[in-house]
Amino acid sequence: MNRVLVYLLLSGAAIVLQTAFLPHFLPYGFKPDLLLILVIYLGLHERTWRGATLVYALGWAYDVFAGSFPGLHGFVLLGIFLAVRATVSRVNAESSLLLMGLVLLGSLMQAVLTIFALEFFVEGSDFWPMIFWPLPLQVVLNVLAAFILLRAALWGQLRFMPRRRVPGLHKLDSRHGT
Amino acid sequence: MWEWWRKNRVVLLGLLLLLAALLWYSVSLRQQKETSFFETLLMEATGPVQSAFTSLVRSTADIWGSYINLVDTEQQNRRLREQNSLLKSELNQLKEISLENQRLRRLLEFKKTQPVKTLPARVIAEDATSWFRTVVIDKGYADQVHEGQPVVAAEGVVGRVIRNGPHESRVLLITDAASAVAALVQDSRSRGICRGQGRALSFDFVLRKEPLELGEAVITSGMGGVFPKGLLIGHVSSVNRMEFGLFQAVEIMPAVDFSRLEEVLVLLREVEP
Repeated sequence: MNRVLVYLLLSGAAIVLQTAFLPHFLPYGFKPDLLLILVIYLGLHERTWRGATLVYALGWAYDVFAGSFPGLHGFVLLGIFLAVRATVSRVNAESSLLLMGLVLLGSLMQAVLTIFALEFFVEGSDFWPMIFWPLPLQVVLNVLAAFILLRAALWGQLRFMPRRRVPGLHKLDSRHGT
Repeated sequence: MWEWWRKNRVVLLGLLLLLAALLWYSVSLRQQKETSFFETLLMEATGPVQSAFTSLVRSTADIWGSYINLVDTEQQNRRLREQNSLLKSELNQLKEISLENQRLRRLLEFKKTQPVKTLPARVIAEDATSWFRTVVIDKGYADQVHEGQPVVAAEGVVGRVIRNGPHESRVLLITDAASAVAALVQDSRSRGICRGQGRALSFDFVLRKEPLELGEAVITSGMGGVFPKGLLIGHVSSVNRMEFGLFQAVEIMPAVDFSRLEEVLVLLREVEP
């Protein structure tokens, strides 16, 4: 329960950063998708059904702050979470490079699922150019944000709570042989 | 059969869950025209935080701007630098007030020209993603703001309200791909539909034979039922008449600079349900 609360607080912070803080510093409406990074982290370290429920709820909450289509991000983020769950048992989850790789693939998958959900279900609009052309920059931003967040989280954990372990983070630290 | 089910249970249930999510999304696309209680609750909870963050960032940017101005004078002597700092800080504040004054005056003059009642509002947050174009304003249904009402700035059309809480509303900008505005060219009166394309707009369904020139103003036609007639949308920035086809490809640059949008006016007109 505590973990769920932490996830909810983190997603709230991510949404406030994306809507009210980062737009002042990044041009042309670009911003990293911090919630996507959280969903990928959840995919790596949470159990399937609990994580899926949480991610779907987060997706619905995300729709209150993004776009104009209720349910869109619930579907997209759930798809990404299930994809991460499906691959996590087949890869080395102890590598920090994996998180970066998954954020890269997750960003691409997010674009594909969003285009699919909009082009096939919304009438009379042409969404794909708005998603497709800025995609390379969006991917770079997401990966960069994941890298910075990972470094900051590891530093914060060692500095402020060295005896406690954040699920998955201690494995991603290079001093643990990765 | 049982063995196969046990082996693939997780994958099948995952796919089923994804399908259910897709179906729910599809159903809610057609049914949810009004703001739900869940959306109202979240908007109400996050609105003050977003507003505080935006104010904090803007005031920090002002202080940072003053500091940057100070770097050059650092090389001069301390007394002059302190005086300079004080004056520049005051000047910066005055400049900010003057700029705000200018913006509000333009908005006020524009407000006088509107036949309907208007409500000034501040932009407190942007869309959470890079792909959609919405903003949050600090007025909601407690201030008589409702879904579908048009939002404008002194420079021209901004968008329309799509969701509202008691004290915040979300506005779909005309540059979002989900936005379509019935429009006409001010001089030639050629009609078309302006659709959002991120930074610019496309002006669709303009017949190939219609004469269009770069820089021509495009205004709302009043046909869509949302925006009143005659509001400036933008100016023609490119025209491409292909050899075949009924229509020409026209691009419009919006009159409003959405990256610097701070104050807007909500036109409090009655909206048809």
